[in-house]
Amino acid sequence: MINYKNLLILFISTFFFSSTFSQLRIEIKGGVEDPINIAIVPMKWELESPQAIYIHKIIESDLESFGEFSVLSPERMLSLPTSKDEVFYKDWRLLGVDYLVIGQVKNTEFNAEVIVSYILFDIAREKYIHRGDVIGPIQSLRKAGHKISDVIYKKIQGLPGIFSTKLAYIDKPSQIDPNYNLRISDIDGFESISLFSSPQPLMSPSWSPDRTKIAYVSFEEGTSRIFIQELVSAKRIGLKHEEGINSSPNWSPNGDMIAAVLSKSGNPDLFIYDLKERSWIQITKHFGIDTEPDWAPNSKSILFTSNRSGSPQIYEANLRTNKIKRLTFEGTYNARARYLPNGKGIVFVHRRNGIFHIATQNLRSGKVKILTDTSLDESPTVSPNGNVIIYATKDGDKDILAGITMDGKTKFIMPSLKGEAREPAWSPLID
Amino acid sequence: MNFTKKTFLFSIAILIASCSSVSSDRTNDATAISASASGAYSDSGITSNNVLYFSYDKSDINSEGRTKIRTLAKLINDNNLSVRVEGHCDERGTREYNLALGEQRAKTVAELLIINGVSSDKIQTVSYGEEKPVAEGSNERSWSQNRRALVKTF
Repeated sequence: MINYKNLLILFISTFFFSSTFSQLRIEIKGGVEDPINIAIVPMKWELESPQAIYIHKIIESDLESFGEFSVLSPERMLSLPTSKDEVFYKDWRLLGVDYLVIGQVKNTEFNAEVIVSYILFDIAREKYIHRGDVIGPIQSLRKAGHKISDVIYKKIQGLPGIFSTKLAYIDKPSQIDPNYNLRISDIDGFESISLFSSPQPLMSPSWSPDRTKIAYVSFEEGTSRIFIQELVSAKRIGLKHEEGINSSPNWSPNGDMIAAVLSKSGNPDLFIYDLKERSWIQITKHFGIDTEPDWAPNSKSILFTSNRSGSPQIYEANLRTNKIKRLTFEGTYNARARYLPNGKGIVFVHRRNGIFHIATQNLRSGKVKILTDTSLDESPTVSPNGNVIIYATKDGDKDILAGITMDGKTKFIMPSLKGEAREPAWSPLID
Repeated sequence: MNFTKKTFLFSIAILIASCSSVSSDRTNDATAISASASGAYSDSGITSNNVLYFSYDKSDINSEGRTKIRTLAKLINDNNLSVRVEGHCDERGTREYNLALGEQRAKTVAELLIINGVSSDKIQTVSYGEEKPVAEGSNERSWSQNRRALVKTF
């Protein structure tokens, strides 16, 4: 009997590694000089299980992802408490630990499910600041781990944690797979799946605000067309193809509309597709190129790129007054802007001395800050808590994803094991 | 003239015959058949003379290109063909902006074909932006080959 159980556990752990291998990996290139020190004690399991190590490892790797935390390795711990009474603050202070996480994993009445009970301590204040329970299937402890990481992050940093969010991106054809793939994965690169595969280009993934659908462009019919795909059912709906370019879908914050670009009037202009009325409303009308729309978090305006001044620059269309305001003035190439989640700034592609960088601009002061020092950087996407930017860049001739924290202190790359990744789109948070 | 036309039709026949077996568009545009999913579009069949090249961030055609387009227009009309013009860009700049730039390139070629007597209902345009490079590599050599418009029969 015991043997069978061990066998089952072995099977599960093998499954865990083989089926959910990381498509993208985060490699930190430089971190914060003074990170927050945290210790995550290996959790006590009611049942002996090789899975036991994973839950604290997942939290550890989450918190270290963006350089803000430094995690104490268990070998350096003076004790391995699993309950509140076993915590001696002095021990942890000696090790320079600011925060401590302990926990226990118990079986529920359902065999395949466990409950993770954890406590977060503030060592300086000598008290626990949060205790929580997360229930999850034993096979997807990653999800439970990410949930705990999100809460810990929120309690310490005061911002929502982003470890349960997803990343959508496009894989271009490779020797392994001759197709373009629309993929989603966890933000740490694990759990990667292909949502749609096509021998013709796929572009511009955009998440619905409820995270249940992705809009994107597919050339499967020989010309660009916008599709909406449900994540769970994989059901696809194509928006009616209009003459010319059909591109750049971008979901409105309330989920009712999609901003996009059509060139049916002779040149690319901004339109809004009303998902209920199933009709297009034209937003801009100019003989130049208008493209790359992004909705303001408050829904009142749309950012876009236009070459109406002679070179691509970022503009903002006020949806109530129909007034169009130019936002960027530095340099001769500013494009594909995204609002920061607080609406107070934008992130975009900025060319300086022939090199394409990711830059931010404060919308009040107009101050431009170049964040990246690589070249051919594009497609920036911002974490829903506003703290991290992931973008597409080149590693030699390969398309890779890379990231940087908004303060510029932590840089990382996300190499893809299969193919090449481009056009990252960060999912919204879910409750 | 008669000779040119014969050669042209012969090339078309060969290209159409090979159409079904060629599926990769990673090879040179000038000799490859389009890899569109259905295989419905084929090369116009006149070696490299169906490819127009552009300067960085530009969609205007130089005099050499204009000569090419005049020849193409005559061939299209003489043989009563319909064509699809594909616009492409190099990898520099943003993808969606490049999609718009690729469309401008395709439309410039389409307009010049019309000026040279091709009926507008015989021409379709499509932009692939920077999504279908013919040459890999982040250097001017590759970029100059990728900034192109292709005239294909269908």
